[in-house]
Amino acid sequence: MRFKKTWGMGLTVMLAAGMLAGCGSNNNGGTPAPAETPATSTNTANAPTEKGNDPVTLKWALWDWEATAYYEPLIKAYTEANPHVTIEYVDLGSTDYMTMLSTQLSGGADLDVLTIKDIPGYANLVKQNHLEPLNGYIGDSGIDKAAYGGTVEQIQVNDEVYALPFRSDFWLIYYNKDLFDKAGVPYPTNDMTFDQYEEIARSVTSGSGAEKVYGAHHHTWRSAVQLFGILDGQHSVVDGNYDFLKPTYERALKMQDDGIIMDYATLKTSSTHYSGVFYNNSVATLNMGSWFIATQIEKVKSGESAAVNWGIVKYPHPDGVEPGTTLGTITSLAVNQKSAKKEAALDFLKFVTGDEGAAVIASTGTIPAIKNAEVLDSIASIDGFPTDENSKEALNTFKTYLEMPIHEKSADIEVILNENHDNIMTKNTSIDQGLADMNKRVELVLSN
Amino acid sequence: MQTETKPVTQKAGKPWLSKGIRDHLVAYSFIAPNFIGFALFTLVPMIFAVILAFVKWDGSNPMNFVGIDNFIRLVKDTTFHKALWNTVVYTVGVVPLTMACALGLAILLNQKLFGRNFMRTAFFFPYVASLVAVAAVWNFIFSPTMGPLNNLLHLLTGIPIEDLPRWAADKDWAMFTVVLFTVWKNMGYYMVIYLAGLQGVNPELYEAAELDGAGGWKRFVNVTIPQLAPTTFFVLMILVINSFKVYDIFINLFAGADNQLNDSTRVLVYQIYNTAFRSLDYGYANAMAIVLFLIVMGITIIQFRGEKRYGQ
Amino acid sequence: MVGPQKKFRAGWKMLAYLALIAVSIGMIVPYIWMLSSSFKLNKDVFTFPMVWIPDNIRWQNYVDIWTRIPLGTFIYNTAKLSVIVTLLQLLTSSFAAYAFAKLRFRGRNLLFLAYIATIAIPWQAYMVPQFILMRELGLNNTHLAIIFLQAFSAFGVFLMRQFYQGIPDELCEAARIDGLSEYGIWARLMLPLSKPALSTLTIFTFVSTWNDFLGPMIYLTKTELKTIQIGLRMFISQYSAEYGLIMAASVVSIIPVLIIFLALQKNFVQGVASSGIKG
Repeated sequence: MRFKKTWGMGLTVMLAAGMLAGCGSNNNGGTPAPAETPATSTNTANAPTEKGNDPVTLKWALWDWEATAYYEPLIKAYTEANPHVTIEYVDLGSTDYMTMLSTQLSGGADLDVLTIKDIPGYANLVKQNHLEPLNGYIGDSGIDKAAYGGTVEQIQVNDEVYALPFRSDFWLIYYNKDLFDKAGVPYPTNDMTFDQYEEIARSVTSGSGAEKVYGAHHHTWRSAVQLFGILDGQHSVVDGNYDFLKPTYERALKMQDDGIIMDYATLKTSSTHYSGVFYNNSVATLNMGSWFIATQIEKVKSGESAAVNWGIVKYPHPDGVEPGTTLGTITSLAVNQKSAKKEAALDFLKFVTGDEGAAVIASTGTIPAIKNAEVLDSIASIDGFPTDENSKEALNTFKTYLEMPIHEKSADIEVILNENHDNIMTKNTSIDQGLADMNKRVELVLSN
Repeated sequence: MQTETKPVTQKAGKPWLSKGIRDHLVAYSFIAPNFIGFALFTLVPMIFAVILAFVKWDGSNPMNFVGIDNFIRLVKDTTFHKALWNTVVYTVGVVPLTMACALGLAILLNQKLFGRNFMRTAFFFPYVASLVAVAAVWNFIFSPTMGPLNNLLHLLTGIPIEDLPRWAADKDWAMFTVVLFTVWKNMGYYMVIYLAGLQGVNPELYEAAELDGAGGWKRFVNVTIPQLAPTTFFVLMILVINSFKVYDIFINLFAGADNQLNDSTRVLVYQIYNTAFRSLDYGYANAMAIVLFLIVMGITIIQFRGEKRYGQ
Repeated sequence: MVGPQKKFRAGWKMLAYLALIAVSIGMIVPYIWMLSSSFKLNKDVFTFPMVWIPDNIRWQNYVDIWTRIPLGTFIYNTAKLSVIVTLLQLLTSSFAAYAFAKLRFRGRNLLFLAYIATIAIPWQAYMVPQFILMRELGLNNTHLAIIFLQAFSAFGVFLMRQFYQGIPDELCEAARIDGLSEYGIWARLMLPLSKPALSTLTIFTFVSTWNDFLGPMIYLTKTELKTIQIGLRMFISQYSAEYGLIMAASVVSIIPVLIIFLALQKNFVQGVASSGIKG
């Protein structure tokens, strides 16, 4: 009997596990868990095409609530126009955000509106069938894809789109006017080739030790270095052969050896953030995304950034390529396929990604996905934005390439590229070895 | 096995419940509170996780049963092999070093020394502090070009800084760095365990040994070590298991902005986490987890047998 | 002992003592650095060369950490979780460990091995099934989820069982002869004798719950439920890494743990377990 007791327990456990295995993947996501705050509406199965005025609470998955300027204004603007809607945010943290989101959704978490941070994570969510397909809604509500400057097409998967962009950032060169003045070097321009950019960086590098001024700064992300190589449009980072990156890495390593940029290994282990070195007047130029504009403006105002005279110019380009060609990242919104409040969620999505949302976003200094002349003007006229003509002109882009194009295997490829970038820049392997490893492993992934 | 019959203060007992059965029920009642919670919240998911090793699942779409395919894949997966190797090397480095330091410290700090409480607290500090902060500090100290350590080494030995090891960023020295970090961080924890164990050693045994003419070292070997056997067994087991399961330490020390580990620092649990949550291959990840589990269980069973034989 | 031998021993003792002091100070240096960093601006935390006493001491950090994130709420949550989990663990683990160590019953070794087996599997492997289970039970985004996850760990049972094994069986026999029930033995004999082990388990459980990161991150997405470790991470955003604030918050959050440790220190005193053997 005693022995049977242990077995009995064991069997019950197995049964429970069996039941779990069955119901784990079939959740219809309709009923909210009983322990939740009871602010949700009754399931609005009726009136599928009307807005309805029953009070509804939407859960919005995002990151860095506190540090991001546009979340609150967006919520405020929407709820003022739609008083029956309450929006609760769920801050999942920015480190590994997409992995967290995927885990939460797989576990059946009650989220309605989802912010999409990067392409590899997006590809994964699409694969997992977590995202509501949007082509139908786009057609029905008259959303004009062309207004997004081609970014909607860039996130299409098999002719269907699962998210709408609301932010479209691109890479620029930030520079410190004071440091250039001190070195007597003319400012960077909106039309620089790679060679010219390197030369400018070299001529403004000076000093040593604590007083050193670095001509340029490459943050530890692979996109800060690797993606110089795709700007001529001849290659992409998902086609499986990376030999075209050799000149890019050679240049980067040479700049590192010559002390034009900080040592990668040191940067990585000391968790130095790109903002810190710019604020400190330690670097004369910085290649970074347009999201930094709003942060820098705010930090100058608060006194934390000592780089008070600064400007932006367009990204450097390969010879023969039009200036204004640069890297882009898209931040978009999607709707949880298992959401019980899809109507309301889609309506909010339409707001944020549409003209009204774009206006709110632009007023905070962030670049929305709908990037027309008015929007750019409003950004350039924000208090704290550099007043010189070049900076305003720099906001115009000619063509943007995604940091990681949409691809079924982009998550796996991203891992391999990151790893080898790290190995090459820390000199743990030679450039040739690193590129060979990339070729080999990505090919394996692509053929699987 | 049984001693006298229970006195009358116990209930008269239902006639069909023999003493043996009653004793068993009593024993189970002791275990029950812990076991029920444990079974429901830990054991059940674990069993499910074992089942997962035999399917292909991406976390959302329906599962496909694939038998032992995942395990066959493991045999050819060189990334997995490297992760396994890294983990083993790490364990072999950490375990003896930590045990020696912890035991040494416990013995030293068990004696009546001035400032003993201060020192015990000082050694325990690294374990208590938030890993994020402590890893940042360590990385700063070990920073390749500008950290105090390399600058000091440069001063002492004259070797130019570029030629000194780059510690956490260096593929040859990374494992050394993390082993050092782990020992530093955790020896306070195991020191405390040993201290608790030392309290249980009967001082009369030491007196008897001293009377027999045994010097300090002999007393240590003949009294302390045997008396500490259960504690040592515990420490060894937990150390081995924790070393095989290491993840947070590596992430905080090495991972940088993209949360990735490279070849020389990739450990098993990281590989499991990545395979499940980044590559969305839960089945394969769990197959790895099973292998990890089997290895650790193997070592544990060997230790368990060793304890029984040595203890008796 | 003979004279010169005594001096020799004293000499070694001095040396060992000095070495200990040096190393202890070495252990503390990172904390001093943390303390010093907590008074700096974020961008100055990692400057080279190291500045021990910042030129302008930024007390503001210690104000900001309470306003920028709801640190007060986080500390309360973390304390609440740590205390409850620790108490539950102490109770149920020592209870179960007594049976494993001192009682004989069918399936004892097998069950115990099962317990240990579960320590060997990394949590990442069954994290998702566990998450789904919690959701089915309606426990997502509740503190109960964390409590249930942590309070019934095999580790506590393992630790207490090892310790109980060191307590001689004769004591228990004597108690049984005196008429104590097994429950009585546990309460009146084992518990008091195992103060060092209980203190150890208290410290460990408290610290590990206090510092737990992944559990709260996955189960507690509502801000008012979050814990300190999640709060610390909030200072590392896409836009910046505010290490000055992280250090300040870390300094503040170590204090309760230190208090617990110092309070329990006096239980690591020789002679507690040996009483009762004489005679």
